[in-house]
Amino acid sequence: MNTHAPDRESLMAALRQVMDPELGCNIVDLGLVYAVETTGGNVVVTMTLTTPGCPMNDCISAGVEQGLLAVEGVEEVEVRIVWEPAWTTDRMSPEARRWIGLAEPG
Amino acid sequence: MEAISPASTAPEPAAKGRDTECRIPPRKAALASDHTPDVTLPLRFIVLGLVSFVTATVWLAFRPDLLVAYHYGPHVIALTHLVVLGFISSVVMGAVYQLAPVALETRLHSERLARIHFWCHLIGVPGMVAMFWIWDMKQVGHFGTFFGLGIGLFAWNIARTLRRARRWNAVAYGIASSTGWLVLTMLAGLFLASAKCWPRINPLDPLGGLHAHAHLGVLGCFVILIVAVSFRLVPMFLLSEVQSERRARWSLHLLNLGVAGLVTTIALKSPWKLAFVFFVVAGLVVYAIELTAILAARKRRSLDWGLRSFFSSMFVLGVLAVLGGVLCWPTLPANGFTTRLENVYGFLALFGFVAWAILGMLYKILPFLVWYRAYAAEIGRSRVPVLHEMYSHPLQAVGYWTYTIGLAATALAMAAGSEPLVQAGWLLLVAGVAVFLVNAGRILRHLVRPQLRPLLSAPKRAAA
Repeated sequence: MNTHAPDRESLMAALRQVMDPELGCNIVDLGLVYAVETTGGNVVVTMTLTTPGCPMNDCISAGVEQGLLAVEGVEEVEVRIVWEPAWTTDRMSPEARRWIGLAEPG
Repeated sequence: MEAISPASTAPEPAAKGRDTECRIPPRKAALASDHTPDVTLPLRFIVLGLVSFVTATVWLAFRPDLLVAYHYGPHVIALTHLVVLGFISSVVMGAVYQLAPVALETRLHSERLARIHFWCHLIGVPGMVAMFWIWDMKQVGHFGTFFGLGIGLFAWNIARTLRRARRWNAVAYGIASSTGWLVLTMLAGLFLASAKCWPRINPLDPLGGLHAHAHLGVLGCFVILIVAVSFRLVPMFLLSEVQSERRARWSLHLLNLGVAGLVTTIALKSPWKLAFVFFVVAGLVVYAIELTAILAARKRRSLDWGLRSFFSSMFVLGVLAVLGGVLCWPTLPANGFTTRLENVYGFLALFGFVAWAILGMLYKILPFLVWYRAYAAEIGRSRVPVLHEMYSHPLQAVGYWTYTIGLAATALAMAAGSEPLVQAGWLLLVAGVAVFLVNAGRILRHLVRPQLRPLLSAPKRAAA
């Protein structure tokens, strides 16, 4: 049994290690992660993908799971992929927008 | 329970009942996609396609006379089938096995049938090309039956996959149409081969039949398929959306109508073929309007060289539509220049449109397939390269310009009927292909030498 509950910084740092290979940016700055909930050592990540039917669906989900399981205090991870609300580029951080070369939001 | 919001602007997730949820069991190791087949399936088709393409381009470097020779001859037909069946069909069908489930958001009906198809294809295509070369039409028919069996399996597999599609959109409609035209092309080819053995069964002019067969394949199968999948791929790569589903469907309606009428009138040598050229042109104009709207709405401003190749091939498609109209003109005199223009038309259709569009899209598809095979299991555990880091961008630019100049030079030299200039232009085009192959090698190298790096910050969990 873990004595330390996972802290926010560690969880977010682990999620920032998971890249969308097509866009070349991590899923947090892309705005794909909608919520991260913790109950003791259990972590539930609610997230989306850039497009429904994305061929990277499984590997990004598994990457999130593997990345979070490496964080101290995490015992179980559940990844929920949701399509509502749909992802738009407005959810991206300014750094991610610059990195990918997107137009500034109008 | 503690909730962590990753960003202040992050939206609340929707109510559970409305979501499409995918609960991943803890520590699930398998990374096979829900939708797509194992990547070795499309990869083997693509590698076969690239081997065929290299063979054809090197072959033509030594035999540039084939590009200026009259096109109804054994060697030109053998080479054409090497390009069309060996390169284009292999890559296209491999890509469809991968992309159709993604585009249709469903599973491929049967991976096993697709693997049997590969072996039919592998036996049929080289055999057909060799038998065309020595003009043994009976054996062409025998090897063609293997190829045809593979096409039948492909069509059945895709039809069953389409039946499971969640939405019947323009992409599904286009894939269904092109698959239907593919089957008809194959049947027409087998009929033409049979008619060479038993001429009595063919009431049509052999040259008209050959031209109809070629248009069925290139226009019916490849143009419609490329148009259809671009409605999915271009918005996906550019972070845009189809701007009018109705417009997308209309472009395909017009193209289908044009193909049906054009192929029939070409086979019958009817002057009405010009009327159906207008349907094709109208379909392409509607497509161009939609593509422009998708581009205008894109969030990702920069176009990489792969997409530039794809859009350049679309420009060539426009040139082909005009040239096709000229060649259909009823009062066009039948002379040496017209014959050379017909050769240019066929050359641009294969190397300027289809092959260029495929080479462009391969810069998207090939890295993805290799990445998935080499790195999917490592994501979150190691730092893995992203797709555009798997090849050289300066080389990509060099390849684009070399291919472009080679293509234009070869087409002009063919129109002028100069064999030395054709060879010079063709060697430039081959150089462009060679540069592409160097990049393809860099991509494929990740399969044998993955480039894994440690994560930027080491995991905090203590070793067990």
